[in-house]
Amino acid sequence: MKNIKTPVSINDVSKLKILDKILITGYIYAGRDVVLPKLVTLIKKNKLSSLGINLDGSAIFHTAVSPAGVGPTSSNKPEIENSIPALSQAGVKLHLGKGALSESTVEALNANNSIFAIVPPLSALLSEKIIKKKVVAFAEEGVEALHLLKVNSFPAIIAVAHGKSIFKLE
Amino acid sequence: MKDEQHVISKIKDTLIKASTTFSDDKKKVLSKLIKQNKSHENGWIIKSILANALVAEKNKIPLCDDTGIPHVILELGKNSNLTYDLIKAIQQGVKQGLKELPGRPMAVKGDDTQRLEQSQGLYKSSGAIAIAPIQVIKMKGPGIKVHILMQGGGPEIRAKTSKIFHEHKISVIIEEIVNWATEGARLLGCTPCTPTIGLGRTHYEATSLMLEAMIKGNFTVQNNLEKEITSKLNKTNIGPLGLSGWPTALATFLQIGPQRASGIRVASLRLCCLAEPRKACCTL
Repeated sequence: MKNIKTPVSINDVSKLKILDKILITGYIYAGRDVVLPKLVTLIKKNKLSSLGINLDGSAIFHTAVSPAGVGPTSSNKPEIENSIPALSQAGVKLHLGKGALSESTVEALNANNSIFAIVPPLSALLSEKIIKKKVVAFAEEGVEALHLLKVNSFPAIIAVAHGKSIFKLE
Repeated sequence: MKDEQHVISKIKDTLIKASTTFSDDKKKVLSKLIKQNKSHENGWIIKSILANALVAEKNKIPLCDDTGIPHVILELGKNSNLTYDLIKAIQQGVKQGLKELPGRPMAVKGDDTQRLEQSQGLYKSSGAIAIAPIQVIKMKGPGIKVHILMQGGGPEIRAKTSKIFHEHKISVIIEEIVNWATEGARLLGCTPCTPTIGLGRTHYEATSLMLEAMIKGNFTVQNNLEKEITSKLNKTNIGPLGLSGWPTALATFLQIGPQRASGIRVASLRLCCLAEPRKACCTL
């Protein structure tokens, strides 16, 4: 088990390989289908800083945030997976979710020194790892708004790193 | 109808149980896997799935943050009466259950187009989630059984209902279903899954049978066709959470209905994720 603190550096990323189990401590963003494309639009318009969002070395967890807890949604849904290259380019180092990603996404992650990790979909246990949560943008989207979570020892398994993917092991 | 408040309260408790508690047969099969899997690299995942379930049950909190869309199946016994007032009380019980759980507030606002585009945001109350159309089947004996299923989004993405040209061979049907399930399980992420299957004459019938399979299926009682599907999926090496290895599927729930004189069968497959089926039942 490797401990990772956010923000994540390129040096941290370089030490991680597929199937490594990690525990993340610090702040992570949480967003999914509806807000990730909006975030990409803001990046393209150079308006990210106006919302106080800094993606350098950040982690984004593909989840809703609600009183029912958190848990990974399918990262291969088009609105989520298609946002990964632009978000990586903008500084996101750690994408957290579940499900197989395409080869082109694996390449885009590698080109930007970013990685993808699977969060076990165990909401009852994950709830215990969240210390604080707040909405940082797109509040009108309710549970799908962009949230910032403070987490302690949040578990994940590296699934895509440095051009390698657990989904291509066979 | 029995006292309205009594019905509402029973339905509320049943919804909370479905959302927070694994069935005894599922706990049994996971415990058995943990014993068999001691030195296996995926053993920790199976242990975590059971640990998550035990924490959820103890604290009465959701097994998964996607608390799902409530589906109700009624089994009607002899001399039982299904009335407008009973349906209304069931709907009220579901609403209260979602509020108390709490369910994820994910009911979408707006007119037809706005709901489809999700352009007007969401209702704040989890109780605003509408119940799916109620399914009614008959049963032996007296009374009314109410089954509640909570259906998450991931398995819906990987579900498929389609015709199969069966060539008058069961092997063709099984092979096609295994192909669908393999494709879905590779992308699902929340494996080990439980393929739930209905085979009927129409899309409606096959989907209804698939839901019936979900309420009747048992992890520890499997027929030969169910065992065959599970076994074939477990040879794919997709593994827990898609990390490769074993197991990919815990069991299969299959319900076969009447068939038509034709070269087609209609199959409905839903890959229940590791948290599903989320089901519970009460008798009114």
